[in-house]
This record gives sequence, C-alpha cells and structure tokens, in this order.
Amino acid sequence: MSRRQLLSVAVVAAVALATGFLVAGQVKAQLLTPSNQVARYQALVRSVQDLEATNAGSRSQIAALRAQIDALESDAAGRSAVTQALQNQVADLRAHAGLTPLHGPGVEVELANGIPGPTTSGQASYLVNYQDVQDIVNLLFAQGAEGVAVNGRRITPLTAYSGSEGQVVIDQGPPQSSPLKLVAVGDRNRMVAALDDASALPDIRAREVQFQLHLSFFGSPDVPLPAYDSSLQIPHVSAI
Amino acid sequence: MSARFRPASRRRSTGRAISVWLIALLVALVATVQIRSQAEVERSLVGTDTTSLAFLIDDLHRANDSLQAEAADLQARQATLRSGTSGAADQVLTDEASRLRAIEGLVPVHGPGVVIVVDATGLTALDLQDAINNLTAGGGEATAVNDHRVVVGVAVEQTGSGVAIDGVVVNPPWTITTIGDASRLAEVADLMTNALRADRRVRQATYRVEADVAIRSVISARPFVYALGS
Repeated sequence: MSRRQLLSVAVVAAVALATGFLVAGQVKAQLLTPSNQVARYQALVRSVQDLEATNAGSRSQIAALRAQIDALESDAAGRSAVTQALQNQVADLRAHAGLTPLHGPGVEVELANGIPGPTTSGQASYLVNYQDVQDIVNLLFAQGAEGVAVNGRRITPLTAYSGSEGQVVIDQGPPQSSPLKLVAVGDRNRMVAALDDASALPDIRAREVQFQLHLSFFGSPDVPLPAYDSSLQIPHVSAI
Repeated sequence: MSARFRPASRRRSTGRAISVWLIALLVALVATVQIRSQAEVERSLVGTDTTSLAFLIDDLHRANDSLQAEAADLQARQATLRSGTSGAADQVLTDEASRLRAIEGLVPVHGPGVVIVVDATGLTALDLQDAINNLTAGGGEATAVNDHRVVVGVAVEQTGSGVAIDGVVVNPPWTITTIGDASRLAEVADLMTNALRADRRVRQATYRVEADVAIRSVISARPFVYALGS
C-alpha cells in the first residue's frame, strides 16, 4: 500500500470516527427530544401570539363600540331633557369606572427589573411581579389617586392582577413585563410624599437594595390616562 | 499497459475522494443540526417555561371569552340605540347606570358566591389586599370585608390599631363575602384557606359556598377633585 493510499485510509478512518462520535453524542444528548420540545414550545408561543392578537383585536373592537354607543347616546340626549340628565349621570359613573379618558395633575412611576442575585426564597426576586404593581396602585389610590393606568391599561374598580415571575397580567389584557410605567391622576403632592416615604412599599424597598430593582417617580402638572378597553361584566351580581 | 491501468487507478482515487467528501458532508450536516438544535433550545427557552405558557394560554382564552361577551353586549346596546325609539336610549342608559353603580360599590347587591372566615393575629393589610385580589382574579364581582364594601380604589391600609378599610379598622375574624362565579370562587377559596391554615398566625380559615349572598354595605360616591375629562 502506497503512502498516499495509507493517508487516504487514515483520513477516511478519522472522518468516520468523528461521525461516529457525533452520532453517538447526538443520540446520548437525546437531541430528538429537545427538537420536539422546541417544536412544542414554538407551538405554544404561536398560540400565545395568536391569542394576544385576538385579544388586541377584541379590545379595539370594544373601544370602537363604546365610542359609537357614546355618539348614539349623545344624539338621543340632544332630543330629550330626560335622556340628557341620564346621560350626564352615566358619564360621571363611566368616568369613575375608568371607561373614559382623564387627565390632570399626577405622578409617573417607573418600575423595572433588577439584577439576579442570591436569594433564599426560591423566587426570582429581581424581577418585577404583579404584587409590586398591586402594592403601588393601592398606595396611589390610598394617597389621593382618582385614576391610575399601568402601561396604558386603565385600572377599574374590578381590576385584578395576576401573572408568573416577571409577567404582570391586568384584567383581560396580555402580559406586561419590565419596565412598567404607572401613571396616576390625583393629589400629586400626597402621592409623591407617599412614594418618597421609606416605610412604604417595604418589599420593593428591600429588593431595591438587594437586587437593584428600579423604582423611580416624579410629579407632573398634567398626565393623561386612557380609557379602559376591556370587559366590565358582572353577570352574577344583581342590585338589591 | 500504463495506459490501461491509469484510468482504473484514477477511478479508485475518485471514488475515495467522493467517499471522503460524502462523509465530511454528513459530519458537517450532523454537526450543524446539533449546534442549531442546541442554540434553538437555548434561545427559545429563555424567558418563559412551558408550564407558564400553558397557564398564559388558559388565561388568554378566558380573557378573550370575556372580551367577546363584552363586545356582544355592546353590540346589543348599539342595536337598541339604533332602533331610534324614544324610550330605547333611556332604557340603555338606566341599565348602564345600574350596572356601573353595582361595579363601583354604590348600591347593595346579591348573587351566588362564597363567604370566607379568617381568624388570625398579625395578618396585615397586604395579606387582606392579596386575598381580595385573589378573589377578584378568580371571578369575584363584588366584595365586602366585615360589612365594608371593597373595590379597587378603596384604601386597605395598615394602621397602629390594625388593618383599616377606608379609614375604619376591621378587627379579626375577617368575614370576606364575594359574589361571582361560585364554582370558580370555591376553587380559589379552597386554595386560599388551605394556604392560610398553614400560616402560624392563622387560628381558623374556613369558607362556604352560598347560592345567594347579600352585600348591603356601600361606598359613598366621591366626586373628582383633580381629574378632568379629556
């Protein structure tokens, strides 16, 4: 066997050996299973994206319907003093329920994720969670807010917060994540003083120190709040 | 002779070369698949795990159902208003006013729901806020604690004397009454009371489902001082 033939055989053997190692490594690493996992994961992500698109479409439809109803009610109110009085009552109730846009003096609060660090709780404490948002909104209302919105989602009397680590779901909206911007209209000085109080929001303050969770705020002479664009159904409640 | 053997040798050599290239190609293919698969796994799994995604899908389905129900209700209202009859607008507005008064806690209400009783020492305003939020997220449509109506915007605060709702201290035991989808609320109440019973501060945590429960307490309407309509 010539030297060149020997070399060829050696190259083939080396390549075959490498192939063998790669195939064995692939089988051992159960690459097929992760590939299926990826496919399953991608299917789940696609489902979420489709549902979020439907969600956005429905909320736009609701906002448009409310505007059309408002216009029809105004037309009717123009023809009757009784209807006009009823419409004024409903307008006030809608404003308090968060169904109409508002503006006025207030505060803007920004809340953002911190930096991962050691924790004993087993939770990703450096991430903003829905309880943080709930605590800030409750503080703002307790200190003179007349309306609040979180990342453009208006808070209503029936608002509920949920979500997993790092995600905040408000009512029927899609999940929001850091950074979150809370805007409140109301007694600006009281709200700023409350946010400035070191004893308020103890959990967030502790995580500011431990994980550099970010909380900042400033008062403003005029901030806008959008109207609520989701469901306010109470099918199980009847007035006595 | 050499003219006869040379082509045969060249054929063998070409065959070996093709074999080597084929194997190399296979190696490259396998390596690419492996590296790309691993990268894809790593990239796609950053952020949310599949369990959280499954919960998110469930929540979005429920949310979208609620939104579609709201849209259908609004379309019905719009159709009534478009009918143009003299009483149609008045009826729509009267119904809307009643519904909004119930939502804002301005009128007494009743309906199916759950009643949770929690007797404890040392529970804070945050505990009560979490309990109320859990019930609202679980289908609660109206809530009262010890006959104090609670909606978002009513202050639930920690004071030196204990937890206060709208400035009035509510001493334990807390009776939390919630109206809404009774089966969903029962699931939430079950989870909540189980968790509370594991808390050292809690002496007792029970719940009962009721076909019709009344909430008679109301909130006083508060006119806006700062907010202006856009």
